[in-house]
Amino acid sequence: MSEMRVLIVDDSSVMRKIVERSLRQAGLEPMVVLEAGSGVEGLQVLSGQSVHLILSDINMPSMDGLEFLRQLRSQNLADGVPVVMITTESSEEHVKQAILAGAQGYIRKPFTAEQVKERVLPLLTAVEGR
Amino acid sequence: MTLSLRENLHLVSDPTNLDSSVEEVFHMMLGAACRPTELAMPEEPETITAVVGFGGLLSGACVFRSGASAALAIAGKLTGMEFSEIDDTVKDAIGEVCNMLAGAWKGRTPDLSANCGLSIPAVITGSNYHIHVQAPEFRLHHVYEFESTVFEVTIICDGLQ
Repeated sequence: MSEMRVLIVDDSSVMRKIVERSLRQAGLEPMVVLEAGSGVEGLQVLSGQSVHLILSDINMPSMDGLEFLRQLRSQNLADGVPVVMITTESSEEHVKQAILAGAQGYIRKPFTAEQVKERVLPLLTAVEGR
Repeated sequence: MTLSLRENLHLVSDPTNLDSSVEEVFHMMLGAACRPTELAMPEEPETITAVVGFGGLLSGACVFRSGASAALAIAGKLTGMEFSEIDDTVKDAIGEVCNMLAGAWKGRTPDLSANCGLSIPAVITGSNYHIHVQAPEFRLHHVYEFESTVFEVTIICDGLQ
C-alpha cells in the first residue's frame, strides 16, 4: 500500500490518538496523520492539503461533524475522498443523516481496531484502485 | 404517533443497562474487565468528575466520578501512556469514557437512542463534592472496580417525556 494521508477530526486529542492507533493496527502503514480539533479546523487543514481518507466525530463544539461534512461537500474540498463518521450516536436516524450528508461509513464508539479495519480498508482499497 | 418513554420507564431505568454499558466500553476500548462492586469509593484528596448531558425525550446526565488513582489507571489503559497526575490528557480521557458510557447506555433503549442527544463532556476536578439534582425522575448509581481502583457512574434523569 502506498503512503496514506488520513485526517482525523475530533475535539478529543485522546480519541484522535486512539483512532490513529486503530488505523495502524489495521495495517495502514505507511501513513501520515493530520489532526483537527473541530470541523472548522478540519476545513482549514483540507484547504491546504490533500488526504485519502477522513474520519470525523459528530458531537464537536463550534461546528459538528455533520455540518463539517456538508461544508466539505459544498466547498468541493476533498472531492471523492471517503469520510467515515466515528461517534457515540448510534441510532438509525443518525446514520441516515450522516449518509445524506455524504459519509461513506459509520463507526460507533466504543469500537475495536477490527471494526475500524472492516469499515476503512475497503474504502481505501477503492481509493487506491482509482 | 407521539413517543412516550414514560410508558417504558422500567426499560429505561433498568439497572442492568448501566452495568452492560460499562462492561462494553471497558472491554472494547481498554481491553479490560470492569465489574460492579460493593466497595465504597475511597476518600482521596483529589476527585475528577465528568458529566455528559442528555437532551430530548429524556433530560438529565451521565456522571462519572472517581479519585485520582482510578482516573490515572483508566486514562493509562485507554491511551497506553503513564500518568502521575490528573493533567489535561487524563481529563480528556475521562471525558471521553463518560461520553462513551452515556452513548452506550442510551443506545440500549431504541426510542432513547434516536430521540435523545448528548452534550459535549464537561470535566471538573477538585476536592470531594457531589452533584445534586432536586427530585429526579430516576437515578441509577453504581460503583465499579477496575484494576484495584474504584469509580462510580450515575445516570440522573430529571425529565422524561
